[in-house]
Amino acid sequence: MGCELAAREVSVHINGKPILDHISFSVKPGQFMGIIGPNGAGKTTLFRVLLGMLDPTRGSVSFLNDDQQPVKRSSVIGYVPQSRQIDPEIPMTAEDFISLGLPHRYRFWSTSKDRQAISEALRLTDSFRLANQPVGKLSGGERQRIYLAQALVRQPQILLLDEPTSNLDPGAQEQMASVVDRICRERNVSVLFISHDINLIAKYADRILYLTRGHYAEGPVEEVMRTEVLSRLYGSPVEVMKVDSKLRVISTGKNAAVPICYHGEAQ
Amino acid sequence: MFEYDFMRHAFAAGTIVAVMCGVIGVFVIARNLSFIAHTFSHIGFSGASFAVYMGWHPLAGLLLFTVSSALAVGRMGIKVFRRDVSISVVLSIFLGLGLLFLSLSSKQASTMFSLLFGSVVGISTKDVWELTSLSLVVLLLLAAGYRMLKFDSFDPLGAQAAGLPIRFISVGFLLLLSVAVAEAVQIVGALLVFTLMTTPAAAARYLTQSVAKMILCSAGLAVLGVWLGLTLGYYTNAPVSFYITALEGIFYFAALGWYSMREKMQTNDASPAPSTAPGTVE
Repeated sequence: MGCELAAREVSVHINGKPILDHISFSVKPGQFMGIIGPNGAGKTTLFRVLLGMLDPTRGSVSFLNDDQQPVKRSSVIGYVPQSRQIDPEIPMTAEDFISLGLPHRYRFWSTSKDRQAISEALRLTDSFRLANQPVGKLSGGERQRIYLAQALVRQPQILLLDEPTSNLDPGAQEQMASVVDRICRERNVSVLFISHDINLIAKYADRILYLTRGHYAEGPVEEVMRTEVLSRLYGSPVEVMKVDSKLRVISTGKNAAVPICYHGEAQ
Repeated sequence: MFEYDFMRHAFAAGTIVAVMCGVIGVFVIARNLSFIAHTFSHIGFSGASFAVYMGWHPLAGLLLFTVSSALAVGRMGIKVFRRDVSISVVLSIFLGLGLLFLSLSSKQASTMFSLLFGSVVGISTKDVWELTSLSLVVLLLLAAGYRMLKFDSFDPLGAQAAGLPIRFISVGFLLLLSVAVAEAVQIVGALLVFTLMTTPAAAARYLTQSVAKMILCSAGLAVLGVWLGLTLGYYTNAPVSFYITALEGIFYFAALGWYSMREKMQTNDASPAPSTAPGTVE
């Protein structure tokens, strides 16, 4: 069982300014799509459209099951938002915190099925040893895995992750991305993963959606991360280089001899 | 002490209102609404004064004004209302209005005193029943919405991401809070609503590691403060509200001291903590 996400000609204009312009792509079950682009490129706006929090000016988004029948958005999406802050003194263990995400809304006791779902979310995110620790006292990387587990406890078929590796050190970034990759393959979940780190995305993503202001390129990583594709996308000459086995995108235009991506970070 | 009707009424009303305030206080703290609760109590004072002027029961005026305010805040948005300036302006306006209504009515000094500082020993059987039924309604609604309220209060971004009806939860909670404030004003008065609404919950936060236990602990501390306050007030000449505020304050500082000591001991046991959480970069 899986769910395909299909965006067709999605445009979003805010105060008359185009933020997203005729964007079309699809993510199949078990596919890992990396979304990358500079700040203000519309990555989070795209997520808001996919989540139904913002209506597109034009175009549509659909969620289709294995029989290509439309399914209800809320029943298939798991979302981990960006810049989530919780009180360090929050009176909850990691397990309690994960249980907040359980789909039922009124029953306040937990059943064996709920406990099984929590246990599975802990397993998928390698977080069993964190279960009884106060969630406010966890490290940044551990907390991010607990946020992911909270989204997984609803057993989503599509995961939207908005910069889950920002503010993490390189080791924790790598661990987070590999956990997401395993969930994607093992559970046949479609993943959309926003990151500024092009090399992290390149390592795990099957496809990439590269957004710049109003334009985009989409396809397998090796097809998108090419000099001619990105030069067309930016509207000025850029060069995609591999230095020490790391991808770097360098602006080579007359007035902008500066890296667009430096040490793997899109600027 | 229990041979007197007024003491039995005070214990009954004080207990049920303390339980309700202890429970709702946990969410007031988590949602950072302490000062909004305080503002509601001043609005309630104005409402009660209006009721006195109109010849109604004070609770009717309290409820009319606090519930209308909750609806207004819900419409404006909590963020707008939470600004320091907005709170200070609203507080002053409604305290002034309260004074005006009382000066227009024939009852003044004693009524104003009991509205501002509470009059738990002046409660009738009818009042007890009214307060009990309202408290039960608030507690039942809190129980019904417990899961959603807990999610939205302790992890608002997560609740929004999970598609919870956050605006409905926010306005619904403000309405319950307005009713709770109207009741607490009857026990501890408009100026001392913090005593039952936030202090026990703030103390409970330092003593427990789960929301359910925090609720039980908060309600327990609120009830203990009211019982001891009534008993001490009965045997001495000092006001009951003073004892309740003093006791709840002692509970809070004792809990804070215990928490700090425990943290210190844990830090001493562990290796020196880094300046940022491990796995995080600034």
